[in-house]
Amino acid sequence: MDAYDYLFKFILIGDSAVGKSCILTSLIENKFKKGSSHTIGVEFGSKIINVSGKRVKLQIWDTAGQERYRSVTRSYYRGAAGALIVYDITNRDTYHHLINWLADARTLARADISIIAVGNKSDLKDKRAVTFLEASRCAQENEILFLETSALTGEGVEEVFVKVAKMILNKIEDGMQHIEEGLGYHGLFSGLIDPATMMSGVHAGARSLLNEASPAEPASRCISC
Amino acid sequence: MWSDPSAGRSASLAAPPSSSAQAASGPTPGTSDPGPSSSSSSGPPKKPLVKLQRFGACFAKEAVDLNELRELLWSGVPDEADPSVRAKAWQLMLGYLPVHVERQVTGLSKKRREYRELVKDYFERSPEMRSDNENQILRQIRVDIPRTNPGFKFFGDAVMHGIMERTLFIWALRNPASGYVQGINDLITPFLVVFLASYLNKRDEDLHELEISEVPSEVLEHIEADAYWCLSKMLADIQDHYTFGQPGIQRMVLRLKEIVKRIDEALYDHLTNNGLEFLQFSFRWMNCFLMREFPMRCVIRLWDTYIAEQASGFSNFHVYVCAVFLVYWAPQLKMMDFQQMMLFMQKFPTEQWRPQQIETLLAEAYVLKSLFHSSPKHLS
Ligand SMILES: Nc1nc2c(ncn2[C@@H]2O[C@H](COP(=O)(O)OP(=O)(O)OP(=O)(O)O)[C@@H](O)[C@H]2O)c(=O)[nH]1
Ligand SMILES: [Mg+2]
Repeated sequence: MDAYDYLFKFILIGDSAVGKSCILTSLIENKFKKGSSHTIGVEFGSKIINVSGKRVKLQIWDTAGQERYRSVTRSYYRGAAGALIVYDITNRDTYHHLINWLADARTLARADISIIAVGNKSDLKDKRAVTFLEASRCAQENEILFLETSALTGEGVEEVFVKVAKMILNKIEDGMQHIEEGLGYHGLFSGLIDPATMMSGVHAGARSLLNEASPAEPASRCISC
Repeated sequence: MWSDPSAGRSASLAAPPSSSAQAASGPTPGTSDPGPSSSSSSGPPKKPLVKLQRFGACFAKEAVDLNELRELLWSGVPDEADPSVRAKAWQLMLGYLPVHVERQVTGLSKKRREYRELVKDYFERSPEMRSDNENQILRQIRVDIPRTNPGFKFFGDAVMHGIMERTLFIWALRNPASGYVQGINDLITPFLVVFLASYLNKRDEDLHELEISEVPSEVLEHIEADAYWCLSKMLADIQDHYTFGQPGIQRMVLRLKEIVKRIDEALYDHLTNNGLEFLQFSFRWMNCFLMREFPMRCVIRLWDTYIAEQASGFSNFHVYVCAVFLVYWAPQLKMMDFQQMMLFMQKFPTEQWRPQQIETLLAEAYVLKSLFHSSPKHLS
């Protein structure tokens, strides 16, 4: 069933070659693709995950890390409800740049964006150049979440997305997260809502707008993916 | 005649993507004189053999007539040709190989010597002398090279990595306005494949399993220098695709949008109503000239025409190719929502495409470009 309760838009940012695309592939296809190419501009992926009993559909924009592409990738921030800032635990420079990426996200995205720092390549233990402790302190100081992952083994990958989604769900419960209740082009009345207004990064899914008890069938007809 | 532009065109474009036979039996673009500066008029359809002879005759002249070569190359080097024909045509067309036959040998060796000097000056300097910026460029090149994978085993070889590292690094330092931008590593690969095929006298399709250790080092030196100079020529006029803000690419995306709106408004509306922005899917088409969208054999065929168009600005023509390519998928796209379209356009089902299908695209693009240029008011 493709029905979902919420649709969250995420962005993957961070230096080139830290493993953003591999994390996305690991999440969606459950495998590690060796020899995949670097990202030009942006790539897109989607997956439905279960978070606290809710079905959350993630639409994820995986951006290119090179500085030159910022002019293109920056336009993806404003629509995002969640951001993963990825660095490579074997490369200190990519860790130092975390702060710059965070500043970008803070200025370009909505104020209620939920952010996690992700230390990737945790399988490369011998080459570790950034400790878990210092990164987790840094995340705490900056009031963002933190986890380590390995796109190669899959360790931590789904958790990262679940963690951010959970945070967003909590904000929704506390009334601190802006939700677009419109059905828009993902819902029942396709085309009624101007996509340009759908900037919150969080949309209620058709399932939540229908009666919870009603079968997901009507929704799945409209929300095909 | 242009009042309903999509009607006439989509008939030939709407062929199901898998039916290569249908596409191949479609219009044969090259044979009917599409070259931009061609002077001769089109005769009856020419057989590959005749075309081969024409290439031969063109090269045999004391001084190669570039207009004649442009017309020939525009419509593609035939499959039957000796692998050296394409390499030679590209090098001549890009102004790398001298047109005067008696100057070709000395011209090439001079350029290769020059390249060796560049390697000394830019690359073999001690690493301590490199600036932060240079180190950063080198870092980026080094992480991209192992991720350059156009489907040939030898691109995974350390020796090939060295070749790419030197050529890309030197190109970046000599073009400081852009420097190295991800994707330029993709753009050097067709040159490396075509020149290797030429030296080894193999078809490019037979190089997939090639081991670099089988290739004499002298040959490797030559293709490295040749690829460097040809890449430089190819990118010479499109610097602003890779400078800050990438204005050249932004411009092309905008133009693509205008053209698609004109030729298939229903598709245009479908895309925009679903919240799809042209930049989201076509940025890569512009940045890498559709290289990521096609298998190498098709890219090489595409480049025959682009290199023939190089003097008049192939990026202008490229936008029409992109428009035709997008409209080609209109029947499928129109059935899809935002997410389906994004995923579909990230990985078009083109793995099985043959060069003949590229020729169909090119022919359509040529017609389209002529129509737009002969009545520019349609664009305002
Ligand atoms: N050992 C190990 N290698 C990884 C891991 N994740 C990614 N890699 C490798 O790191 C390199 C970069 O991965 P990508 O996913 O292409 O990096 P990216 O962040 O998407 O890079 P850009 O697209 O250039 O921004 C590749 O060679 C991967 O094989 C990991 O968890 N462990
Ligand atoms: Mg990537």
